[in-house]
Amino acid sequence: MTRTLVPEDQPAPPEASQELERRAADARSRRGLWIASAPAAYLVLLFALPLLIVFVYSFATRGTTGQTILADWNITAYARLFNPLVREIVLRSVGYAAVTTVISLVVSYPFAYYIATRPARMRNVLLVLVMIPFWSNFLVRTYAWRVLLSSSGPVSQLTQLLGMGQTRLLFTTTAVVLGLVYGYMPFMILPLYAAIERIDLGLVEAARDLYASGARAFWRVTWPLSRPGVVAGSILVFIPSLGAYVTPEILGGSKTTMLGSYIVRQFLSARDWPFGSALSFVVTALMLIATLVYFRTGGRTL
Amino acid sequence: MAVCVSSTCDRDWNDQPALRKQIRPAMSATAVDLSDVSKRFDDVNAVDHVDLAIRDGEFFSLLGPSGCGKTTTLRMIAGLEFPTEGRISIFGDEMGLRPPNMRPVNTVFQSYALFPHMTVSDNVAFGLQMRRLDRREIRRRVGDALELVQLTGRERRRPNQLSGGQQQRVALARALVNEPKVLLLDEPLGALDLKLRQAMQLELKDLQTRVGITFVYVTHDQEEALTMSDRIGVMDAGRLLQVGVPEEIYERPTSPMVAEFIGDTNLLPATVKADGQIELVGGQIVGADITASPGAEIMVTLRPERLHIVDADGSFPDGHNAIDGTVARRVYLGNAVTYGILAGNVTLRVRVRNAPGQRQFDVGRRVQVHWAGDAAVLVERG
Ligand SMILES: Nc1ncnc2c1ncn2[C@@H]1O[C@H](COP(=O)(O)OP(=O)(O)O)[C@@H](O)[C@H]1O
Ligand SMILES: [Mg+2]
Repeated sequence: MTRTLVPEDQPAPPEASQELERRAADARSRRGLWIASAPAAYLVLLFALPLLIVFVYSFATRGTTGQTILADWNITAYARLFNPLVREIVLRSVGYAAVTTVISLVVSYPFAYYIATRPARMRNVLLVLVMIPFWSNFLVRTYAWRVLLSSSGPVSQLTQLLGMGQTRLLFTTTAVVLGLVYGYMPFMILPLYAAIERIDLGLVEAARDLYASGARAFWRVTWPLSRPGVVAGSILVFIPSLGAYVTPEILGGSKTTMLGSYIVRQFLSARDWPFGSALSFVVTALMLIATLVYFRTGGRTL
Repeated sequence: MAVCVSSTCDRDWNDQPALRKQIRPAMSATAVDLSDVSKRFDDVNAVDHVDLAIRDGEFFSLLGPSGCGKTTTLRMIAGLEFPTEGRISIFGDEMGLRPPNMRPVNTVFQSYALFPHMTVSDNVAFGLQMRRLDRREIRRRVGDALELVQLTGRERRRPNQLSGGQQQRVALARALVNEPKVLLLDEPLGALDLKLRQAMQLELKDLQTRVGITFVYVTHDQEEALTMSDRIGVMDAGRLLQVGVPEEIYERPTSPMVAEFIGDTNLLPATVKADGQIELVGGQIVGADITASPGAEIMVTLRPERLHIVDADGSFPDGHNAIDGTVARRVYLGNAVTYGILAGNVTLRVRVRNAPGQRQFDVGRRVQVHWAGDAAVLVERG
């Protein structure tokens, strides 16, 4: 069988129309520039410029009374990033953020899948329910956890009732991670939902038709196709968890200090602006790099 | 011999003058058997008491207008949907609630449903991988399948880098590579343009003959069904109206719906008189090749191409029926001319071939329309 049924690719357009196409593309990109100018101004004024200031401050000198001297530029602050306490706090923060991300993903996936596979009207109701917590203040909700987890709170009362004795959850790692998962899970659910909702269920049926069990159809089709949502959700949970301040402040103790609190302490109590700036800058830069890597990989298809 | 469960089955067993394919002596086995199958969605009867026996090795088409339940029927065979009532067997095995992955069938989906994140060869290999075949065996069979559908050299492409026709053939290869006992195809050519579709029709038919797999082919395109099928089942509103070879469906429709859906036709209400003659509603008496009981309210179907026109005083063969009329409309179609002939209170569509020497008629002219006795087919009034 050598016949070809399909007409092969069309001939390339002649030069004149290529020229036209190029001009049209130029016009499009000029228009794009115009539209982008407002967000660009916003980013420069409120993000790039402050970051630059932080960057400059990180090379400044701390005066003996804690004032910042914008002279004698040096890299002492960066050298101090390698001291054991900083390492401990960084590792702890990354650890907490990673655990928070994994737990959020595992809990959110079935949740998002369930929502995405409901009829349209039901979906909207469920999505609103996911977002309802945002309607009340994050600080208030975190304090609520403090009540729930305290040694006289309902959780403890329940364990006492079951004869397991008083629980000591508050000010522990568990409490912090619990608070982080609670606080950031919607940021996992929403992108997951968006990704799963876009998957053509016909593809899963095709996999089933091709001898895949339900589980294998999931791992070979649904999971890879929902990856953009997994990546986006993970970044949206990981980054704020890494820099979390409120949650570890309220639910954690001295042994659960995270980066956010540590940086704040440099600016407020320690009055060491250069060191705080160096910490802030490195954390921000690393997060930027992580985000870029994301956009280069799975994120592009989002 | 076949174990024919359905009522339609034994009938067309006996009166098949021209089975297009008389190659397989073992054509007797029933590949797919639907026994009183119904499917209800909420308050819609998507499939309504369907009895059907599809034979091993045949190219069977389910034909009907959009929404008549074709896809639902196919999905129930595939196991993607389960009947509300009735039973489905494949080669004698009752399927019950068996999931799709446990059934010896594969499907070519209407929108192809190619996995967008996999290459062409990974798509085609999928079924074999799920069945855990040997890696080398998979590679060989995927290569063969891609060669069969002329996609060699496209292995590493993604589905979105292929044309519609190529995607269609990947979907075909992905199903065929598994060598299923029955291949289900849901309007597989629907998204292609006319030229390609016609080429693929012949190609598919050819392929089916070569691989010898039973094809259950869903389409709403009557021409496609006539071109490709060994037998056709015509559906409407969830019910299977008639099953037969293309000639039978076209020439001896048993219901007005089938007559109208398959090709163009003139459907005329009529009654059977006491002497067995047939009286059109206009009072005209005509002969037809089937007798019906006196007093019955029936429909007569007359295909436009079986009607002929002569001048009002012209002659026509003995034994032909004739009606006087006036040319009301004339439409030039290139290879033919269709006329609307006003005869009493009905307008008959007549198709006249546009051949050299063929007489054509002007609008307003008084003419006679005549046809052979067997051109008029009685159908029950729906
Ligand atoms: N999942 C479903 N839920 C509700 N109604 C459905 C569903 N699938 C099909 N139907 C209805 O069943 C009827 C037959 O549909 P279908 O089998 O897709 O027809 P066809 O393939 O012949 O166009 C239609 O009225 C359709 O709206
Ligand atoms: Mg359909």
